[in-house]
Amino acid sequence: MYAVIALAIGIVVGVLTSPTVPDWLGPYLPIAVVAALDAVLGGLRAKLADTFDAKVFVTSFIANVLVAAFIVFLGDQLGVGSQLSTAVVVVLGIRIFGNAAAIRRHIFKA
Amino acid sequence: MADRRPGTDDPAAPFALLDSLTRDTLDPGYERAARRRQAGIGSSKVAGRTWLIAGTVVVGLLLGVALQNTNANSAGVDQARDALNLDVANAQDREAELAASVSGLAAQVRSAQSGAADTGPLATLNVLEEMNALVAVTGPGLRVILNDPGAATGDSAILDRDIQLLVNGLWSSGAEAIAVGGVRLRVTSAIRQAGGAILVDNRPVAWPMTIEAIGDPRNIQQKFISTAGYGRFNSFVQLYGVGFDVTAAESLSLPAAAAVDNRYIETSPSATEPLTTEPTTQPPTTPAAPTS
Repeated sequence: MYAVIALAIGIVVGVLTSPTVPDWLGPYLPIAVVAALDAVLGGLRAKLADTFDAKVFVTSFIANVLVAAFIVFLGDQLGVGSQLSTAVVVVLGIRIFGNAAAIRRHIFKA
Repeated sequence: MADRRPGTDDPAAPFALLDSLTRDTLDPGYERAARRRQAGIGSSKVAGRTWLIAGTVVVGLLLGVALQNTNANSAGVDQARDALNLDVANAQDREAELAASVSGLAAQVRSAQSGAADTGPLATLNVLEEMNALVAVTGPGLRVILNDPGAATGDSAILDRDIQLLVNGLWSSGAEAIAVGGVRLRVTSAIRQAGGAILVDNRPVAWPMTIEAIGDPRNIQQKFISTAGYGRFNSFVQLYGVGFDVTAAESLSLPAAAAVDNRYIETSPSATEPLTTEPTTQPPTTPAAPTS
């Protein structure tokens, strides 16, 4: 419950303050969003399985965002940035789908 | 992680990697934390709640900023595109307006000239204007209709140089005036390609393209058939299925070319004297092939 309220507050603050994202950060924003979705769905699934741990949630989220951004940064420097961001999105996307499927099974028992 | 790495000594290790990717979608840390909690060495509930709230606020912030950013970006792109479209439309309107005023003024000039006597310098002026394609003309000749079925999909078989060759063939077969797609060719006209579009005298020409040439009706077609351009398009018909249709026309009417817009040259009064007398001693010739 606290988590949902905090999430809503965060979204509202983010939309209302609308900070300008510097240009160099632009390519990493979508990656960070995908990593955040992965962390949120993972947390939700853990919550439903009664194994949720806030510290694991926060550290996994931050580490995912940083590693994903670093991989894309490295790819940009090597000239394969778009391919590596595709790789990051594919891997995180598979995890998101897997977690979403587990949540669905948990909720609907099907 | 070291305790659960399925099948590292499996010969199909890459598949094991993909397998673990699809199977272990939940972070293994959760399971381990739950086991620690069961053993009774978990963190306190208050600290956990602080972590949770801080983390979810950060996640929400990230999502909100991304949302706002995406909206702002798409709005900017839309605005830029609309503004550019508007600029293009305005420029086209202005061009049409100016072209109309040019032809109106040219008609005024011509009517004023026809009021004057039709001899001497004025006759020379008419000859020069005809040579420079500044007056609309009519006469018998050839009509060539080209069609490129691949042009709409960006896979065009006909290039600018092919049309240049064809038009040069028409000039060498004795054409006295040529219009490509309704654009009259003058001495400085160019036929060029910009992307998939053919530009004649910097004006885009749409497919199917009609090339009209006024010339001696008795032999222009025979001469044209033996030119390199005709041969090339004949083979294009067989190779690429382009449309190439040559018909003799009894009466063609070609528009005037755009007026020459000389901006830098100035004629001194003395230089006009020999120019007006010269063509009376020497009959005007057809302008040489002006394309490319």
